[in-house]
Amino acid sequence: MTMSPHNAPIVEPVPVEDPYAPPKGMDRVVDHLKREWQLYVMLLPLIIWLLLFLYKPMYGLQVAFKDYSIFKGVANSPWIGFEHFETLFGNDQFIRAIRNTVIISFWTLVIGFPVPILLALMFNEILNATYKKWSQTIVYLPHFISSVIIAGIVITAFSPSAGIVNTFLGWFGVEPIYFLTKAEWFRPIFVGTGIWQEAGFQSIVYLAAIAGVSPTLYESAVVDGASRWQMMWKITIPSIMTTIIIMLIIRIGNILEVSFEMIILLYQPATYETADVVNTFIYRQGLQAGQYDFAAAAGLFNAVIAFVLVISANALSRRYSRTSLW
Amino acid sequence: MTGVNLESITKRYGAVQVVHSIDLEVQSQEFVVLVGPSGCGKSTTLRMIAGLEEISDGKLTIDDRVMNRTAPKDRDVAMVFQNYALYPHLNVSENIAFGLRIRRESKEAIASSVDEVAGILGLTDYLERRPADLSGGQRQRVAMGRAIVRRPKVFLFDEPLSNLDAKLRTQMRAEIKRLHKRLGVTSIYVTHDQVEAMTLADRIVVMNDGRIEQSGTPMELFVNPVNTFVAGFLGSPPMNQVQAVLAKGANGPQALVGGTVIDLPKLDALQNDEGRKLVLGIRPEYVTIATKGDKNQVPLEIDLVETLGSEALLHALLDGVPFVIKSETIGQISKLDAVTGFTIDPDLIRVFDGETGDALPGQDRAV
Repeated sequence: MTMSPHNAPIVEPVPVEDPYAPPKGMDRVVDHLKREWQLYVMLLPLIIWLLLFLYKPMYGLQVAFKDYSIFKGVANSPWIGFEHFETLFGNDQFIRAIRNTVIISFWTLVIGFPVPILLALMFNEILNATYKKWSQTIVYLPHFISSVIIAGIVITAFSPSAGIVNTFLGWFGVEPIYFLTKAEWFRPIFVGTGIWQEAGFQSIVYLAAIAGVSPTLYESAVVDGASRWQMMWKITIPSIMTTIIIMLIIRIGNILEVSFEMIILLYQPATYETADVVNTFIYRQGLQAGQYDFAAAAGLFNAVIAFVLVISANALSRRYSRTSLW
Repeated sequence: MTGVNLESITKRYGAVQVVHSIDLEVQSQEFVVLVGPSGCGKSTTLRMIAGLEEISDGKLTIDDRVMNRTAPKDRDVAMVFQNYALYPHLNVSENIAFGLRIRRESKEAIASSVDEVAGILGLTDYLERRPADLSGGQRQRVAMGRAIVRRPKVFLFDEPLSNLDAKLRTQMRAEIKRLHKRLGVTSIYVTHDQVEAMTLADRIVVMNDGRIEQSGTPMELFVNPVNTFVAGFLGSPPMNQVQAVLAKGANGPQALVGGTVIDLPKLDALQNDEGRKLVLGIRPEYVTIATKGDKNQVPLEIDLVETLGSEALLHALLDGVPFVIKSETIGQISKLDAVTGFTIDPDLIRVFDGETGDALPGQDRAV
């Protein structure tokens, strides 16, 4: 006990707990959960889905660094470091697949990304409600058709014997072209098909953004003397720019995710030179040839590149447009 | 000199008619306020003048030119909207310059006009800011700047102060008034706030259900409302309206309110028709409070006193109907709790017909 100069004991102050102080640490978490438990219950299915289908499979990624044997399993297969990656980069088919992926993605992005925006802007300018509804329905329709049927339509349309394209060219004296067996035609057909199938549906996001623009901005511009063209350039497009940038970031993140099933449905050995992409390469190596570890290495490489792309796009967007996903 | 003339202007949406053949002549440089409750057609009328709504019937002329089919941009009007209508992606300078850029004016002319307007409105320090970085009052000023930079012939204001808090509204109201004095541009202003109407207008147009109820100077409407609607709309608190029956007194006409007798002005219209139903319009400001012992008082039961500082509102019941008195507090605050009734000069009572709600003839006072 401490003594005062007068030999009287000094009483240490006893800390008094403030009953009205905000809770700290775990108490705070428990308080929050008690208050908002309904929200967490609603969130639970999504978390479970994420864990089961996106995080649990990541465990299997380690086979990219192992000499995987289905008999030994993932855990017991021996580690071999970056051997699969070395093999991968020495593989001409993989290099070709990367090149094709980048080229197809580039054209899909450059041509395919603005099309939904243009469609949304055009839909927005249609004043007749019935005509607008019909146009939108017709343009959205291909999205709801199975890829197999889409591929069937494309194959039929480009058929050298009865296809509409060759029939049309025939009217001008052009000899039938075997479009789907010629490597140089694969990319334009694939990119065009993708745009035809998805552009309408993708335009919904932009239409929703346009619907959010205050009508008084247009009224004010009308009084100021703006034409419809000026209103589109000076009001509509700048007002939906945030949505455009966010969609662009998402598209850049998915740039290596070329529509795998459509390529499988449309390509053939004669067009591998321009059609074989990383995902079809992984499919052939992993599932058809049974080289799971090698295919996992290719898949991991794909994912890392996509990750870097989305981080970079987000950072660039944040820096130059003050808009970003996170 | 630009006047705006509305002749039998009508607006229909399908079978629904929202503006019923209104006539209004706005003089050059006049500040006219259209006031009325929500849905009375005042904003629709303004939008027809701006060209944002088609005119179903009637004739609109601006500066003696028929404008019914003229595009908004060719009417030479500028409009200030309730939600400001500022472009969020443009800064203050670009927002103000928007209309000039659209009209392809030279860069030098635009810069000079923007600087001048920014100076008038006190926005010079904010020219590089975007609307999101401005306060409500600053945004309102930018909206005004956009309107005045084009030097239009007519300003149209559609409830421009509704989104501001009470203090800022008072401040901006004064700024609009000063601006009008300085620029002298013909202005038509829509509001549902009668205080704004009273303080800003050279002339107030009271609208109800798509029709003009009355048009006149603020004081004309305050003192001589033509019907019970106008009487109840203007004034804060509004005019008390008491149901009564006409009776004949020894010294002139009287009104019976329940068991209470109130002397009425000696109008020709009140000399006969004993038993006629009337509505007595009594302004809360015109009555004098009375306490026990005061003669000729109309008895009241005070149930609430609201002290506002220099004034107080006394809420009472007169024959079971709510009745409000506005009284000064200075020197008589202690008296307010002891109020037992009121007295009023009969000539200050506005008498309306009990059936139609219209003011009886011959009682208009000079203002």
